[in-house]
Amino acid sequence: MNRRIRQLTAGLLLAYGLLFVQLNLLQAGPRRDVLLADPRNDRQVVRDFDGPRGPIVTADGVVVAQTVLTPDGPRTHQRRYPTGELFAHLTGHYTLTYGATQLERTQHDVLVGRTPEQQVRWLTGLGRSGDPTGTVRLTVRADLQQEARDALGDREGSVVLLDVRTGAVLALWSWPSYDPELVAVPDAGEAGRVLEFLNAFDSKPLLANSYQERYMPGSAFKVITTALGLEAGVIDLASTWPVATEWLPPQSTRPIGNYRGTPCGGDLAEVFRRSCNVPFAQLSVQLGPEAMVDGTARWGLDTAVPIDLPRPSASTFAPGLDYAANLPLLALGGFGQGEVQMTPLHMAMVAGAVANGGAMMTPYVVDATLDHRGVPLDVTQPRVWRRPLQPGTAATITELMVGVVREGTARCCLQLNGGVQAAAKTGTAQLNPVGEPERSHAWIMAFAPADAPRLAVAVVLKGTNAEISAGTGGTLAGPVARRVLNAGLAVTG
Amino acid sequence: MVMAGVLVTVAYVLASLGSTARIPARIGPFLAVVLGVLAVAHLATRRLAGAADPLLLPLAALLNGLGYVMIARLSDRLAALQAIWTVVGTVAFVLTLLVVRRVGDLSRYRWTLLAGAFVMLLLPLLPGLGYSSGGARIWVRLGPVTFQPGEFAKVALAVFFASYLAERRELIAARTWRLGPLRLPEPVHLLPIVLAWAGSVGIMVLQRDLGSSLLFFTLLVVMLWVATDRTAYLVGGFALFGLAALGAYHAFDHVQTRVTVWLDPWSDYYGKGYQLAQASYALAEGGLTGTGLGLGDPQRIPLAQNDFIFAALGEELGLLGSSLVLVSYLFLVGAGLRAATRTPRAVESLLAVGLSTILGVQAFIIIAGVIRVLPLTGVTLPFVSYGGSSLVANYLLLALLVRISDTATRRREGWR
Repeated sequence: MNRRIRQLTAGLLLAYGLLFVQLNLLQAGPRRDVLLADPRNDRQVVRDFDGPRGPIVTADGVVVAQTVLTPDGPRTHQRRYPTGELFAHLTGHYTLTYGATQLERTQHDVLVGRTPEQQVRWLTGLGRSGDPTGTVRLTVRADLQQEARDALGDREGSVVLLDVRTGAVLALWSWPSYDPELVAVPDAGEAGRVLEFLNAFDSKPLLANSYQERYMPGSAFKVITTALGLEAGVIDLASTWPVATEWLPPQSTRPIGNYRGTPCGGDLAEVFRRSCNVPFAQLSVQLGPEAMVDGTARWGLDTAVPIDLPRPSASTFAPGLDYAANLPLLALGGFGQGEVQMTPLHMAMVAGAVANGGAMMTPYVVDATLDHRGVPLDVTQPRVWRRPLQPGTAATITELMVGVVREGTARCCLQLNGGVQAAAKTGTAQLNPVGEPERSHAWIMAFAPADAPRLAVAVVLKGTNAEISAGTGGTLAGPVARRVLNAGLAVTG
Repeated sequence: MVMAGVLVTVAYVLASLGSTARIPARIGPFLAVVLGVLAVAHLATRRLAGAADPLLLPLAALLNGLGYVMIARLSDRLAALQAIWTVVGTVAFVLTLLVVRRVGDLSRYRWTLLAGAFVMLLLPLLPGLGYSSGGARIWVRLGPVTFQPGEFAKVALAVFFASYLAERRELIAARTWRLGPLRLPEPVHLLPIVLAWAGSVGIMVLQRDLGSSLLFFTLLVVMLWVATDRTAYLVGGFALFGLAALGAYHAFDHVQTRVTVWLDPWSDYYGKGYQLAQASYALAEGGLTGTGLGLGDPQRIPLAQNDFIFAALGEELGLLGSSLVLVSYLFLVGAGLRAATRTPRAVESLLAVGLSTILGVQAFIIIAGVIRVLPLTGVTLPFVSYGGSSLVANYLLLALLVRISDTATRRREGWR
């Protein structure tokens, strides 16, 4: 009998061994990672939600997201957004039921203090107090963001201001926006109704239109066409175009006309500053489908811009189009019509690339992440994204863009404080088919100072009403760019 | 014993610190009740069964204490009840030690015990008295008190099997009766066992309590195997069980559901699989060292204080804590089985085997179910889970083991 008892003991040992193996798999082995990563496993999310969370602060020290204790509330912690809608598209919102968006989502681990580096510093720190939460410091300045907002007013559109030498984003504003605090309420039902309400708008207030939406760029695109023509040696400053009102592209019976059908021609500087359409349509066809598609790809079109914010849109030049079979469309593309669409951020980067001697910097909004003591964890280093043009070409384009401000389409509206010279290109993208009521986006892209560029800006006003549609990039977007550039030059070195 | 007391107290304080950042307000009463009770049980054991294996009571106390800490963390109300049941359990433990001076004496009452076991198993089926909860009809309500008589039936059955088999194991092992090519023991010797087993298992199936029927079945097969020394009983028994399981799978929807959610709890995440999925999340959350007592979210596992308390412990104490629980059961069962090998008397040995098997297999069944080694069948985790009947019955069981261990050692070493 004792032999059997020993066998029974061995059997039970074996059975418990099985349990131990499975426990190891679940608690320390590969199954654990699978379980922790399961989207239905929201334990960590819920626990984080009732815990401390670091702030998001602007480059000029304004807190735009922070967590406060709410001992009397339904939850112990509540996320607040003191600047309301001003930074909604950067911070996003942080909710229990509807998840987190924007930096609240992508910087979550830093904010709650869970990155490995933070854990190590927290655990090894002597005399620690408080909690291990981190801080996210933006490149965006609250004063410039406010200036962009005031300049745009209640018109729908976007303003993007960049440091051309680093790619740091100094303002990233688009209207309509929304107040994240209305979404981050403890009551899930209320939050759901707010989101439903916001989603009902065609203007997409929840979306950062500044980099997640794209618009037809119109003549502002001529900067890229001109640069491609110059680099290919097809045109130079001595090139001239006869005065014409329209031109019939190949494969078509419908002529392409200048803006409002005005006669237009002259040397490169003149057709650029007056923004004639015909020369750029001809240039695009002359370069040909391949050179235009490859060239615009070098400028970053048809690729999502690598900004440190979620889901950036790609500007498009050739979204699966066969331009060889559709040369009229290629001609339209030469001056930013047809199938061409750009995000306001990308437009600012185009101005930035010209301003920066041909180097297009990777844009970023997070300057640094800081640990619980304010010591940097990760400081963003400027990086070149693309080099779409040679320094010499950039200098030529700068000259052309200065001409636009001095005596071209931006003459009216881009004279900066202290006589600082700006360089710019306007765009008035015609959205309506011929014969229908006029509808157009008003664009401007600019940088300053022209001789030693520091800042680049792009402004677009969506052609949502007759007033904007009747104006031009210069008259409507120009003053917005001027205000933002003036403010930016005043506060940055 | 002191270790167990200190461990449990530290765990209790930590759990409270973790969840409310305060030294628990009830620390006084807690210490008085839990530690006082443990001390009483310990002193009683020293006095009444001083030669017993010194591992048995402390391990049970440790498991009981850990379970209590977890229950207290989950619900104040249940913790108060569990404290009362702990006292009752300890009283039952001491009384058993007082009354049962020699386990062999119980043999005299084996038929009474068998009848009692049947009555207890049948009680929940009586209209007006029994009621079902969680799909199983295994509870009895008497006024404000509800209990699961099945928990006591298993101890009674173990005693019956032990005494019956001890007396007739030679006869049962003999296999003198020919049935075709098979050679079986005389049916007259086997009959009571078959009846006892069929009856209890049948009742359990009627009550839809798969876990307990698996437990009873294993108990009988193991005891027959050990008593007769014939592996045929083990093989045949499990073959029969395999057939029964297959039949049950095809016959009952709820068995099929159990198997489906065992293989993939996420196939019915918002339904039958939810509890298992949450248990897996909890264990994963715990990792190696756990979230810390009071710092996890075990309340997110539905009914974590009952069958799933192991997952709650695994979350807050990690792999280290869950392994500690496994090891505690192994040592507890090991101590029981060691007592079984030490006593020369068949009845004591068999009873020790039976009781140890109940403990070891019951803990195995529920842990295996929670961590998805086996389909989940609801039984309590002995000493740990919330539940009065289970706790009291297990203390009774422990008292018998302590008594056997004590007797064996005394006899062997010639105490007194």
